[in-house]
Amino acid sequence: MQAKIIKVGGLGFTIAYAAFIVWIYATEPRTFKEVTTSAEIAAGTYQIDQEKFNSALSLFRREQFRAARDEWQRADPAQRDAHTQFYIAYSFYREGWGRVYFDQELFKQGVEAVNRSIALSSTSPLTIEDPDLRMHTAAELKVELEQGLESSWSDVNPLKVLRTRK
Amino acid sequence: MSQANRSRNRALVDFVVLPFLFLTVALLGGLRVGAESRTFIFIAPPLVTLLLAALSMLLFVRGGLLRFHEWVGNDLPPVTNVAHIWMFITIFFASAQAFNSVLPERGLFHWLFSFFFLWTLWNNQFSSFDARRLLRSLTILFGTAFVLKHILLANLYSPEGGWLKRVAGALLQGVTLGTLDGPAFAPSTGYIAFFTLALYIAGLILFAFASNGEPTVVTHTLVDGYRQLSAAEQLSVREAILDDPVDQD
Repeated sequence: MQAKIIKVGGLGFTIAYAAFIVWIYATEPRTFKEVTTSAEIAAGTYQIDQEKFNSALSLFRREQFRAARDEWQRADPAQRDAHTQFYIAYSFYREGWGRVYFDQELFKQGVEAVNRSIALSSTSPLTIEDPDLRMHTAAELKVELEQGLESSWSDVNPLKVLRTRK
Repeated sequence: MSQANRSRNRALVDFVVLPFLFLTVALLGGLRVGAESRTFIFIAPPLVTLLLAALSMLLFVRGGLLRFHEWVGNDLPPVTNVAHIWMFITIFFASAQAFNSVLPERGLFHWLFSFFFLWTLWNNQFSSFDARRLLRSLTILFGTAFVLKHILLANLYSPEGGWLKRVAGALLQGVTLGTLDGPAFAPSTGYIAFFTLALYIAGLILFAFASNGEPTVVTHTLVDGYRQLSAAEQLSVREAILDDPVDQD
């Protein structure tokens, strides 16, 4: 009887171990910290570092966009929080926005971040209630970033210097 | 009581220890540590390692290390059959990852090593092997590949420029070394590979002992085979056994 328990238990244990190995190779964590983060995501217990998020938000409000992004990336190392990814995209928008031209590279990275944000909040449209922002949904931000990447005749309109940053 | 202990220990080795050992080899065989970033790099087994693992499995069967007919059969309980098939799967992937750990990741050396592994394993298919000789041969094969990759080639790929790189640079002055280029890994990669290969060989040795744990079954199989021969063939077998000197090594 005990031998049968060992057989069944051993089979179950080693199959679980094999699943862990497949998961490790699929997620390719680079450090032990990333292993634990990936495990938290898989278990549904992943949470961002709220303290770092708030610190990044205060940097964002002081227009320190790069520093804010660094903090947000540390707050959400796995890039799994829609809220944080929205703010990262917004920081790319604000830093890349100019009266005469938009920084294409920053806008491209902004589109990537906002797409991540939309993908992570696919169950319900993401809305951010922040009075400091003039765009509150990921969809609005995405359209603004994509328009900034498009070239048209309106780009040569001298009146565009009068437009305002959102 | 001792019979019960023996049965429990045997079950522990067959269904827990061996699959765990082989799966650990499968986990560590593709693990490298970056030279500069010091982060983990997981390299999935290339297709050629699966081919090498398949040839190794054939060799295990031919060398008598894997006896399918004893480990999987109609007369065994279904759970035992499933557990044994599972163990064969773990051996297959452990073999693939053991090759992965000693195979250079890219460049000319990757193909050279792959070719020599294929050549050796293919030639071995036609050689006369028993389990002990097979294990010795595999130990030498992996040991040589380990020394070549993790000592000689690691020196060649070293970002600081090891002694081999300087010698190769002097010898091949003016000739491009682009085809010999490969990724540089931290020295800990070599330690991981050594541990992986040691675990793989230890697993195979343990498996060989586990396979030979039931001499009566082997004896019965041999005797049954012998009884199916004709009288003349039985006589030849008896003469051959009596004439053959006992292998002393």
